[in-house]
Amino acid sequence: MSVTRRDFLIGSAALAAGATVTTPFLLPKYHSDQRPKRSRVAIVDAQQYSQQLDQILAAGLRLFPIDVLGKTVVLKPNLVDYIPGNAINTHPLLVLAAAESFRRLGAKSVLVAEGPGHQRDTQLVLSQSGYEQSLRDEKIRFVDLNRDELIRTPLRAGYTGMKHLWLPRTVLEADFLVSMPKIKTHHWSGVTLSMKNMFGVVPGTRYGWPKNILHWKGIQESILDLCATVPIHFVIADGIVAMEGNGPLNGTPRPLGTIVLADDPVAADATCARLMGFESGRIVHIREGARFIGNASSALIDQAAETVDVPATPFQVVPEFRFLRAPLKCDATASNAQESQASKTPYAR
Amino acid sequence: MTTDPIVLSDLLAELALRQLPCGGWAALASSSQPAIEPTCYSALALDSVPVGDLAHAQDFLLRTQNPNGSWPVFPGDDQRGGWITSLVVMALRDLVPAIPARLQGLHWLLNCAGKEANWFWKWKFRTADRHVRFNPDKYGWPWFPDTVSWVVPTSFAILALNQIPCACGGLEQIPFRVNRGVEMLMDRVCPGGGWNAGNGVVYGVALAPHADDTAIALLALRDRAEDPVVQGSVDYLERTAPALTAPCSLAWAILALAAHRRPIASLRSSLVALPDLSGIEDTSTLALACLAIDYRRALSAFGVTV
Repeated sequence: MSVTRRDFLIGSAALAAGATVTTPFLLPKYHSDQRPKRSRVAIVDAQQYSQQLDQILAAGLRLFPIDVLGKTVVLKPNLVDYIPGNAINTHPLLVLAAAESFRRLGAKSVLVAEGPGHQRDTQLVLSQSGYEQSLRDEKIRFVDLNRDELIRTPLRAGYTGMKHLWLPRTVLEADFLVSMPKIKTHHWSGVTLSMKNMFGVVPGTRYGWPKNILHWKGIQESILDLCATVPIHFVIADGIVAMEGNGPLNGTPRPLGTIVLADDPVAADATCARLMGFESGRIVHIREGARFIGNASSALIDQAAETVDVPATPFQVVPEFRFLRAPLKCDATASNAQESQASKTPYAR
Repeated sequence: MTTDPIVLSDLLAELALRQLPCGGWAALASSSQPAIEPTCYSALALDSVPVGDLAHAQDFLLRTQNPNGSWPVFPGDDQRGGWITSLVVMALRDLVPAIPARLQGLHWLLNCAGKEANWFWKWKFRTADRHVRFNPDKYGWPWFPDTVSWVVPTSFAILALNQIPCACGGLEQIPFRVNRGVEMLMDRVCPGGGWNAGNGVVYGVALAPHADDTAIALLALRDRAEDPVVQGSVDYLERTAPALTAPCSLAWAILALAAHRRPIASLRSSLVALPDLSGIEDTSTLALACLAIDYRRALSAFGVTV
């Protein structure tokens, strides 16, 4: 069989076109593999918000080889809005305990920073949720990330298709960033834990409230791009009273009696998901994050304190995320179909 | 004893001190990155008072306009523009040389709409994506292009467009867009009155209203003061405002309640009595406090007649 020049050119063009179409699906969407070889998580018992949290947290932190000597530590709580009786925000006593612990560990400075995602009046949320007075009493500086100086930051992953985000200087210049989420379910993303908590670093003045551009780019995708770009050095997750059901604002308080500490956000979130009774591999940003940000597999996570105690009754979720609660062995096909649908419809208004 | 004029004078002096050499203001007192929102509120607050350099501020705003007629959030931002365009149009309202720039801004606003204005998204929200209760036929303005409508940007756009005396010369769409925006606000009110950020009901749960979002919406709806939805929201704000201790929400509440002829004397007293007002880190809030204390002039600046 002879190949004419014309056949050769047509074939080459077809190959090039095919490669152009398929390459984006085959190439990884992240720039570098940031995973540690092993990760460490500590599930610490804490039944209530009290002054005892200082000691509990200090003991928990001793389980990790943390070096913050002379460093600037930024604590990033989950502070979204205030609705009386709803367990929406990371409790201020836990944040104060963390600040005190890092000061004792020799941090040059410890500050609290957040850009509330739902309420534009940051000072109102601070005041209503008990932060304002607490931070003032302890002389801890707060930075409103919705209004901080912004730096154009290239994204280190390409899940959203965005090339860059304007991100706050305070976060980018932190030596040690601690994500302090409230353990909650979320009606658009399934869960909101240490990785989703990073939505709070995206400035509302530039991206709207509630950071609506990220919703349209895909919540799961945005979480991955953000966590690839802004490294989380440590996690302190507030599960003393968590939230289930129609989170992140209108769910039901769910006492979990736990603080989760971790040196890897993916390991933290996978562990929190298990504590909620969810299959962590079904949460898109945890599963995908385990490819390049951190470790989700139990085999790669050292449990430094208590073991993961899966609850007899999993956390309630909105119907679209019921597949998170089903054990993997049951009807995987149906679950995967549901997961696919849920991951495509989180584009909240 | 402190009085309103003394407090106002102190706050205006602080505001003037924070003006940057470029003519603009930064969002936070500790920052040197100029931003458009605090510059707009500051320019409105310093209008007709002999402190600060208003002309320099207005010049800064004119210099930062995007080629497409919109304004960025801060100089150097990507040039697609956003919600802040409405505020700039109002901040430049009395400046004759700014008329061409304002017209460009208004045209941009008329071409900008929430994503639900598009037939495809309208269809999707009506058929497949119904967890958030709203009527997609009633749309307003997004924070930024390619997202859906929200209460605050819609309210600011209505206020800006209402300042234009005639809908002519390419601005014929103003009445239509303003009406659509008003309908959107009415549609998305919280069940008990007032407005949350965007919608009143999500996943079957009634959302709690926000004081500042409600107040800004009520300014935009001053012309609908007799509507029961508006009345109910004014009632909500009047009940809520006395408990507000955050100056930003309190300032907006004062402006909105004054616009709707509700008593505000005790709220103004509460505002001026807040500790260390001039030390507020957020410059927009500092300027808003000035505007609330001098509420008559502020309402005029927003084009709201009482």
